[in-house]
Amino acid sequence: MSVEEPFLRRLGLIRVLVAGYATAWTAVRAPHLLDHLDFDARRFDPVGVLAPLAGPPAGIAVIAAVAATIAFGTAATLGWRYRLTGPALAMFFLAVTTYRNSWGQIFHTENLVALHLAVLAVAPADRHWTLLPRRRPGPGRRPSARRDNDDGRSAARAGRVPVPAVTSAGRDGDDGRWAVRALAVATVAGYVVAGVAKLRNGGTAWLDGEVLVNQVAFDNARKDVLGDVMSPLAGFFVENRWLARPAVWASMAVELGAPLALLGRRAAAAWSLAAWGFHLAILVLMAIVFPYHLLGLALVPMLPLEEWTRSARPPGFLSKNHRYTATICSENPGRRVF
Amino acid sequence: MPAPGTSTRPTYDAAVIGVRRWAVPVAVAAMVLAPAFGDPAADSYPLSSYPMFSADRPTRADLATVVGVTAVGETVRLSPELIAGADEPILAAATVSRSIRGGQSDRLCSEAADRMRAAGFEAVEAVVRTEHIDVVAYVADAADPLAVTVHARCPVTAAP
Repeated sequence: MSVEEPFLRRLGLIRVLVAGYATAWTAVRAPHLLDHLDFDARRFDPVGVLAPLAGPPAGIAVIAAVAATIAFGTAATLGWRYRLTGPALAMFFLAVTTYRNSWGQIFHTENLVALHLAVLAVAPADRHWTLLPRRRPGPGRRPSARRDNDDGRSAARAGRVPVPAVTSAGRDGDDGRWAVRALAVATVAGYVVAGVAKLRNGGTAWLDGEVLVNQVAFDNARKDVLGDVMSPLAGFFVENRWLARPAVWASMAVELGAPLALLGRRAAAAWSLAAWGFHLAILVLMAIVFPYHLLGLALVPMLPLEEWTRSARPPGFLSKNHRYTATICSENPGRRVF
Repeated sequence: MPAPGTSTRPTYDAAVIGVRRWAVPVAVAAMVLAPAFGDPAADSYPLSSYPMFSADRPTRADLATVVGVTAVGETVRLSPELIAGADEPILAAATVSRSIRGGQSDRLCSEAADRMRAAGFEAVEAVVRTEHIDVVAYVADAADPLAVTVHARCPVTAAP
């Protein structure tokens, strides 16, 4: 029996990448996050879920939230007790990053990570690519279908007969497609909002390039005045203003054209490449890093990761009694991306 | 009759699954897109109107900062860490601007001076100031500020 579950495989990989990123980000930024504890309370300007607070949360709460994000993030990345650790990671990451954004400046670099984690938290993202088994089958117990970490071909190679037909998709009917779609839509919609904001705030002046030149100049000048590093190419860009108009139209095409990425595989690949180039241009011209986007993680819901990693053996080796269930992916899962 | 080892008992009703396939992505789209229909100046997290880079900024801008002054009178730039205690320049910018607007320049100056002193930064004075700059000329030709407004000064060196 052949059961297609490319979306569950993709969700597993997205879980590893996104939860792994959120965990690493929190660990790397932890010293800077904790620097905020020394800030004067007058600087606290809460947003989002922290908006009701009259003052900054207690230091111990911040430390605990950072530690919890790293701990739950590690567990969620490994897929361990994901129904608990996935939502916990989403919740604590949202709390920690909201805290970071509540000191007078919203950074816009972690928004999509938080949204993706929220979708993943309620998605069947732990059916594949889990390093640790969720439950070890005891004597007389049928191995859980959700523990599968393979597409069944290894079982066939090993001479075992796959246990038929109980798959992640078959067991509860959830093939994960809705979650992959939702993740992709979150990415795409964010770009559309950014494009709309440029037209609403900058008006037609945005389209002739003047606003972009002034933005690049302003941002780099501000960096220099505040002792940060200016982009070495900013001066060249500002002096050669003719570059601004094609750059503006390209950025508008990426942002307002983002929904086209939902139309199919080729469109998704083309748009993803363009969006990555867009963030590379922001890095080069403004020395602003959107790490989640530059690493391509914002774009992975739209890409057929499960096919790229088809030859990779998903981890499962920590489970001594690991048995392969019959999660037989179709060799030809079709051309649909979503 | 299902084969042994199989289960035909659905966890979710098929209709619910079908609705979820579209309803969740549509709900996510509506949530993320909603700020685009609100106040363009309003922003929040994680749902944002993404106003960055969108404002029509003038060529001449007022940029608030804190600088150090050495014993020989030379002005030196400070890092965001020394200015605001954080490594992000835009957070430092927001901190300085809000302090000036809120009449807290002296306090910010003294905090920056404390950080400079703790870091062993060689300066005798911290100055909170706004630089009126032609940003295009500044970036293209390293032009000097057109004017400087000083909001606060405070000593860095520890009192004897």
